[in-house]
Amino acid sequence: MERAFISRLKPFLDAVAEKMDLYVPRKVEGHYVCERYEPGANDAVELNAIRACTPAKEFLFPLRELAAVFPEAVEPKEVKPFAVFGLKACDLRSMEILDKVFTEKEFEDPFYIARRQAMFVIASDCSEPGESCFCNILDGQPYAESGFDLNVSQVEDGYIIAGGSAQGKSFLAAHAALFGDVPDALLAERQRRRDEVRNQLEKANVDFELRAPVQEIVERGYESDVFDACAATCVECQACTRVCPTCHCFYLYDTAQTDYFAKMKMWDSCMRIGYAAVAGGGNPRKLLGDRLRHRLMHKFAYFLERYGVDMCVGCGRCVDAEAGDVDIRVVLKRLSDELTGKGKAVANKTK
Amino acid sequence: MIANLYQPINGEIVEIIDESPTIKSFVIVPQSAFSFATGQFVELTLPGEGEAPFTPSSSPTVTEKMEITIMKAGRVTERLHNCAKGQPIGIRGPYGNGYPIDEFVGKHVYIVGGGVGLAPIRSLFLTLVDRIGDFKSVVCRFGARTPADFIYKDALLGPWQKLDGVNIKLTVDQANGDWSGNVGVVTTILNPKDVDIANAVAVVCGPPIMMKFATVNLLEYGFDPKTVYLSMEKNMSCGVGKCGHCMLGKYYVCKDGPVFTYDQVCKYPKIWE
Repeated sequence: MERAFISRLKPFLDAVAEKMDLYVPRKVEGHYVCERYEPGANDAVELNAIRACTPAKEFLFPLRELAAVFPEAVEPKEVKPFAVFGLKACDLRSMEILDKVFTEKEFEDPFYIARRQAMFVIASDCSEPGESCFCNILDGQPYAESGFDLNVSQVEDGYIIAGGSAQGKSFLAAHAALFGDVPDALLAERQRRRDEVRNQLEKANVDFELRAPVQEIVERGYESDVFDACAATCVECQACTRVCPTCHCFYLYDTAQTDYFAKMKMWDSCMRIGYAAVAGGGNPRKLLGDRLRHRLMHKFAYFLERYGVDMCVGCGRCVDAEAGDVDIRVVLKRLSDELTGKGKAVANKTK
Repeated sequence: MIANLYQPINGEIVEIIDESPTIKSFVIVPQSAFSFATGQFVELTLPGEGEAPFTPSSSPTVTEKMEITIMKAGRVTERLHNCAKGQPIGIRGPYGNGYPIDEFVGKHVYIVGGGVGLAPIRSLFLTLVDRIGDFKSVVCRFGARTPADFIYKDALLGPWQKLDGVNIKLTVDQANGDWSGNVGVVTTILNPKDVDIANAVAVVCGPPIMMKFATVNLLEYGFDPKTVYLSMEKNMSCGVGKCGHCMLGKYYVCKDGPVFTYDQVCKYPKIWE
């Protein structure tokens, strides 16, 4: 079954939750977080307007995990199938980016792959762009067309659920009794809504439009003062990289338990001062501006060169999370303006 | 099931050799045969304490044990220095590219090394000497702070000097005792007439400041930046190009290096920091 109509979310979510653990969005003080769905307890789920404030990587690459045990190796734990509801197009793009890193041939990360294979992805269209959303600047859009098992689009009297994978389509077929047909008029309404949100996004981000390919902007701006100037307010909280759905740097460390030794894997941040330091005392990125430059070069030039895609999806989480007022949209815009000659006054002022 | 790339294989320290006041060599026997190419590195885990990257200093033809020379420089290396024979140890790897020996064939190999940088060079040297006829010559210019700081002293001052096709010169920053050799940093014993530069490759490994000035000299002598091979010291952790700590511009030193030509890395700032 390609697509189906349902008037309420609850029967659909109950059907998913019958088969596997299901995580759903909940609104907390203006942001969405994910929590486990418990039929009868928290089943008044609303469709989230935009992505959750926590990144989808949490489901695939947790903050901290056991990577190895010594001296007796243990097999990684089997991962039970689980579903996440309310992922957005930017989330799906971020997972495709992480796939490049963690499923790379000959260097596969078994922990990531086990979770990725166990994950049932239920995406949904964005209904109203958030203040920090800028996916359109990076060729994104507020709805997904691939990369999901199921995708939910709100329409006037209910929801269109589209199957994107064999597993998703067979779910729809297996629960056909829950669903109605989707007439063409509904598809047209879905398209109208999608176009409307895209227009809103474009309007909201008109000031951040870039005038050259982003790779060229960062590469030609490599020596620019913009990095130091923009990093001047950074307080090194590292929140930008923690909430980033594509940042995947990690730190391996060893601990002693009572009867075994463990090697742990934990998120790390290239904005941390000691991140690249070596035992001999060297540190190529002691300055915050150098670290900001490296972060952007990695996202928009190095990663692209290696894997063929940018390492930023324009979700805006880093903009929301920043304690030090470093806005990636502004950094890119200032570099873009410098490149095209418009921002010389800004550059000179920072010297 | 995909193999767990973070799981070390078990090994044991079977011998510890004092090389200098701050440097020891550890002979390690892995549980199963372990092959590497010269210049590749391994991640050594001291269980419960930490993990750090080292390039083995032994010949890659020996697979039942390997020698790793370690300078006391940080937390993990200090703990390693406190270990005794019999210490269980974890080994991951080998990682990275190693030295492209086949590209050295038919050429002079001009090796500039200093301090604990002689560790990877020893493995390279043993590899080259095994097939010395393939190279025009192997010319070594090594430095240390004081005579006591030279590692592999016995080989360096004795048998290595007598090998056919090999020419070794040593220098120290500060002489003491009965040192009768050159005094000065390693660049003071470099000479453009040492080898036919048009038919030579250079290999540089040592403290960053030494590498920087040695490289400057080599380029001045006329070495092509594509023929100057550098062993970059970065914070390699995962070893497989994911964790990001060792990034040098677009490169993951752990995966794309640790051996780079100067030509590959010269466009990035602060490569010696």
